[in-house]
Amino acid sequence: MNEQVNGSLEERSRALFHDSVESMDFALRSRLKQARVAALAAAEHPRPWLLRSTTWAPAAGVTAAAVLGVALWFGSPMAHHSTVVAESPNLEDLDLVASTDENSTDAMEMLQDDIDFYDFADKAAGSEPAA
Amino acid sequence: MTSFDRLNAAWMVWDTPAPASRGAVLEYTKDLEKFLAEIERRAFRMAQMALRDQDDALDVVQDAMIKLTRNYASKPSAEWRPLFYRILENGIRDLQRRRSVRKRFMTWLPGVKEDPDGDTQDPLDNVADAAPAIPEALMQDEAIEKLEESLRALPARQRQAFSLRNFEGMDVAETAKAMGCSEGSVKTHYSRAVHALREQLGEAW
Repeated sequence: MNEQVNGSLEERSRALFHDSVESMDFALRSRLKQARVAALAAAEHPRPWLLRSTTWAPAAGVTAAAVLGVALWFGSPMAHHSTVVAESPNLEDLDLVASTDENSTDAMEMLQDDIDFYDFADKAAGSEPAA
Repeated sequence: MTSFDRLNAAWMVWDTPAPASRGAVLEYTKDLEKFLAEIERRAFRMAQMALRDQDDALDVVQDAMIKLTRNYASKPSAEWRPLFYRILENGIRDLQRRRSVRKRFMTWLPGVKEDPDGDTQDPLDNVADAAPAIPEALMQDEAIEKLEESLRALPARQRQAFSLRNFEGMDVAETAKAMGCSEGSVKTHYSRAVHALREQLGEAW
């Protein structure tokens, strides 16, 4: 019984697959033909060594990793956070964030959503001349 | 001849095996074209089923064609099919890996919200089709859509075994070559794939 069921699944899926292949539209067939022609042309004219991707891939990979590392290092919120804390430790802010009343989740979401605003406010406060 | 041309020619000689004669190249190019023309649409549909994206599927198929013609054209033509599908599957997995890395990176970035389904919604998907749908065609579309979804839910090796054996009509030995594993593994993957599909699709499918 199970064999029969599985047999029909295989037959049906095969039939559906082949129908979908046969009913492929003209635009797609044309694009596939173009891809084939391009592939054959590429085989007849191999790229010189200097222009092959394998020649430059290792160097490009190392460079990309280095750039990403530098970007992450300088762009990490940790660096910014440590400067702010060192300059003006504000325990009231911490209380607000860590408060456990029923609105505490709202405070967290507010901080996450408006991070750009708080960044701006922090800079503005830092640049304000002392009264 | 400029110095660049001389240097370029020297590199090409140094970096490639001894070139085949012009006649031999023409001969296997003709055979290759025939082979690719015969296989391309099925390969494309398989890639599309796995990747769920037409353009990505086309890219992967073209890439596999280029790699086959560049690196394996001089191999016996009987080896082309398993080689081609092996290259194609590698391309599919590379793309899936890149997508998952990109997705992780995008969710890590501030201000980018993850789509719970992991899909990007095309607004045109929601536009009603002007032509009335024929019930039979509609049922067929629904059936293949379900099949594609279930295939995508399978582990990659099971999907590959099922596609190659059932859609491409390869025997166990050829499938094993294409998958780079033993014939026993092919049988196991295939059998698991059939059972998993039966469970996912249900008896009514």
